Amino acid sequence: MKLIFLLFGTLFGFLLNRAGATTFDFHAQLFLFGDLRLLWVIAYAVSIGVVGVLAMKWRRACSWLGGERLQFDGKPMRRQLVPGALMLGIGWGLTGSCPGTAPVMLGEGKFAAFFTVVGIVLGTYLYGVLTGKQKQTGALSPHALSTRNARA
Amino acid sequence: MSDTLFWPSCIGGLSIGLFALAQYWITNRQLGCSLAYGHVCGLVSRIEAFHSGELAPADNWRLWFLLGLPLGGFLAVATSPAKHFSMNLSMGEMYDHVMPTALWAKALVLTAGGMLMGAGARLAGGCTSGHVIAGCALLNPASLLAGALFFSGGLVTVQVLFRLFI
Repeated sequence: MKLIFLLFGTLFGFLLNRAGATTFDFHAQLFLFGDLRLLWVIAYAVSIGVVGVLAMKWRRACSWLGGERLQFDGKPMRRQLVPGALMLGIGWGLTGSCPGTAPVMLGEGKFAAFFTVVGIVLGTYLYGVLTGKQKQTGALSPHALSTRNARA
Repeated sequence: MSDTLFWPSCIGGLSIGLFALAQYWITNRQLGCSLAYGHVCGLVSRIEAFHSGELAPADNWRLWFLLGLPLGGFLAVATSPAKHFSMNLSMGEMYDHVMPTALWAKALVLTAGGMLMGAGARLAGGCTSGHVIAGCALLNPASLLAGALFFSGGLVTVQVLFRLFI
């Protein structure tokens, strides 16, 4: 199982590179409405994703490895999503990368991404420390947080 | 830039979309990158939040996925026409123009940006891969909202950065 996900990560990193998502300046171009290549990459990825999800739902697809029915659970809506998503967007613009592409850039030899990766770990740690004080288990999980909100 | 091989956007986008579908279909695990950083924190911290819920050590597939990402980047460079691997600090023409040239200042800006993304992704419950590529494909309202806000944040930041500092 671990090896499979190592391979999946490697393939995803490779595809992000070929799509141009690991080139800092394409992110700047995207938000300056210059070269919109990444916008199209996202649009095509999401479009085929919507079609694929509908097809898999229609066929009541089961997972190959476990055999269980796929549930297609979406991440829950919650209030912290708004400031959190804006923070991620600001970081995206500042660093020209996101949590998935920064490690790929590091593998490509783009050493600037090292600082970004360190920052992401620190930010995650800070969040864990601050929410951990509330003595909730699984505070980092979106599902755990939503159930906490439901109870509050 | 010329020594890098890029596929046309439609090929790049479709292959990423199909990849996300394949991962979910094969493994029943939805694509997502940011939660893996919680596992990384778990390697050095005993805080309960990094060892429970979706970060339970029994199923730490995300950590292995995260380890694969730089391997994929290296492989992509090694198989590009130039086959030229070099470590450098450049971020490309545009970002190099607006970023501070002093290493410590550049490192500070990038680390701060990374921290915003790390904490922001945990507040939002995912990043560009989990919320946009996987979540928007599900037409999940939370993910659609998150995607719109990711773009808004990036748009404002880049517009300010590149209009004020050029």
